[in-house]
Amino acid sequence: MEFIIDAAVKEAYEAKGIKDEDIKAVVEGAGKDRIYNGSEFIAKKEIGDMTVYARYKMEGDKATILSAYKHKMKILDIVLVGDDTEWKYCANGAVVKAGHTNLTYLGATRSGPSLVEPESGQSWFEEYLANGALATAEVLFQQKRA
Amino acid sequence: MSEEIGPTDAVCPECLKTIHAKKIVENDDVYIVKTCPEHGTWKVKIWSGAEHYKYLYEFAAVPKTPTKRAVGDIKDCPHDCGLCNRHLQHSCVNVVEVTNHCNLNCPVCFATANGCGYDFHPDIETIRGMFQTVVDFVDSPRCVQISGGEPTIRDDLPEIVKMAKDMGIEHIEVNTNGVRIGNDIEYLRKLQQAGVDDFYFQFDGTDDAIYMKTRGRPMFDLKQQAIKNVAEVGGIGITLVVTVVPGVNLDHVGEIIRFAARNTPTVKGVHFQPIFHVGRYPVDPTDDNRVNLPQLAHEIEVQTKGMLKADNFMPTSCSNVHCDMKSLSVVLPDYSLFPLTTMALGPPAKTDDIANKTRKEVSEFWRFIEVSMDGEDETRDKDDHTWNTFIKRAKTHYLTVSAMAFQDVWTGETERWERCCIHVVTLDRKLIPFCLFNTTARDGTTLYRKKTFCQ
Repeated sequence: MEFIIDAAVKEAYEAKGIKDEDIKAVVEGAGKDRIYNGSEFIAKKEIGDMTVYARYKMEGDKATILSAYKHKMKILDIVLVGDDTEWKYCANGAVVKAGHTNLTYLGATRSGPSLVEPESGQSWFEEYLANGALATAEVLFQQKRA
Repeated sequence: MSEEIGPTDAVCPECLKTIHAKKIVENDDVYIVKTCPEHGTWKVKIWSGAEHYKYLYEFAAVPKTPTKRAVGDIKDCPHDCGLCNRHLQHSCVNVVEVTNHCNLNCPVCFATANGCGYDFHPDIETIRGMFQTVVDFVDSPRCVQISGGEPTIRDDLPEIVKMAKDMGIEHIEVNTNGVRIGNDIEYLRKLQQAGVDDFYFQFDGTDDAIYMKTRGRPMFDLKQQAIKNVAEVGGIGITLVVTVVPGVNLDHVGEIIRFAARNTPTVKGVHFQPIFHVGRYPVDPTDDNRVNLPQLAHEIEVQTKGMLKADNFMPTSCSNVHCDMKSLSVVLPDYSLFPLTTMALGPPAKTDDIANKTRKEVSEFWRFIEVSMDGEDETRDKDDHTWNTFIKRAKTHYLTVSAMAFQDVWTGETERWERCCIHVVTLDRKLIPFCLFNTTARDGTTLYRKKTFCQ
């Protein structure tokens, strides 16, 4: 698989501690375990203590990485299933819903808005939340160790 | 059976001469045993839980002698303090006393204000000199606590605060009993405009029966009015400072924490100070007259019904690890606490510049954050158990619950004095660890206070 990664995209994900090989592991290892909205894919993979996401487009064997992000919180169960979204889960073709999923970190469990597929129990978190509230909460907890 | 866990030095409670001491464990309690060849032996319980006491050493900061010191080599620690090249920690807070007059006459007063046999009410140039000592000896950011006596009896306090800020002292905390700011909101406004960052606010409980014992008069309504005034004026945070006395208010610590939570975001913290004994003591205080930090943490856990657990308290690692403990919680919309700190996090990863980190915390984290910072948000007052709401609350509604075990002549020891980071500024340009500064012998003779302020 060939990867096309813009310098600005690479700089942004490297600043979050994500490496090139993480991106490749997410995209190449996804198979059908990814969601698709007719234009782009989101795939995720647990790497070490992180869940790494790649948002990308495919053209033949070429993957153009649009962005990558991560969170350290561990994904737990779906707690709310809402309306349909534009996304479909490639593994079973089911429509992905808007929902809420529990996340746990250093002993604390709370939920966050997510994309959910109830049949498989899969959840995905979007970039705005991972880079915003989840990252802030992680720092808040971690800084107590500093 | 007793186990010796370390030699240390101390001063004799009778004559204040430097003597050798040792710490021992008996029945899982840690004691300090002091022997003066002339005046006998004293044994005082200082900690409950020997393994916990030993484990805390892993939280100790990397020793860091202040680079700018008023005193060079010394012969007799702690009698030639100032700080010297034996001291192992920088200042994180400097205490500048601006009067020993007070508008209360409390039975309990570490500063022995009023009727202490000397008068200290320096002019503004003398105070400028004390601020200059801070500027000269402490690196930025500098945090000064203006203390007394009661600083707010001075009409020129706003001028003093402004002078400190103009001289490069970034964070100003005023230690107050709240009488003036509860009664005189215009004076409070002047303090706010002058640049006061927070009040270190004497608060002994939510019941006037407590104040009758500790302050000799009912004060709870006035305390609430003062907090209300500070909220109305805005821009200043409050730390409730509680002198904890067994038999007086030790059984109220849980209620005090709940009161503080209900008064966030104006109230940013509760700081418990277990009573320490200074002044004249015809009869030695007993272990029953004291409460140590693990005992206090246990009481907090019981009285908050586990909302805040003993394990949520960690040493700041700024002072000696047996001097303080601190927790940080987000206050949720139902005023329950969501603790962020836990001993399970283990020792801090980086302690080589902990005093600088603490000064920044005092100046940045404890500072009042305007509620309007984040705009109107209807989710702020209800908890939907999401991380989003949690973070929005955390920006404004947080509460530190901390404690500091100040030392007196019975409990004091060199191992703790030499790691102290709270230093009183003297008129002769020295910085003296707070506990040393306030130490008195059994007959009331002071180690430093009187000779410093009776020049």
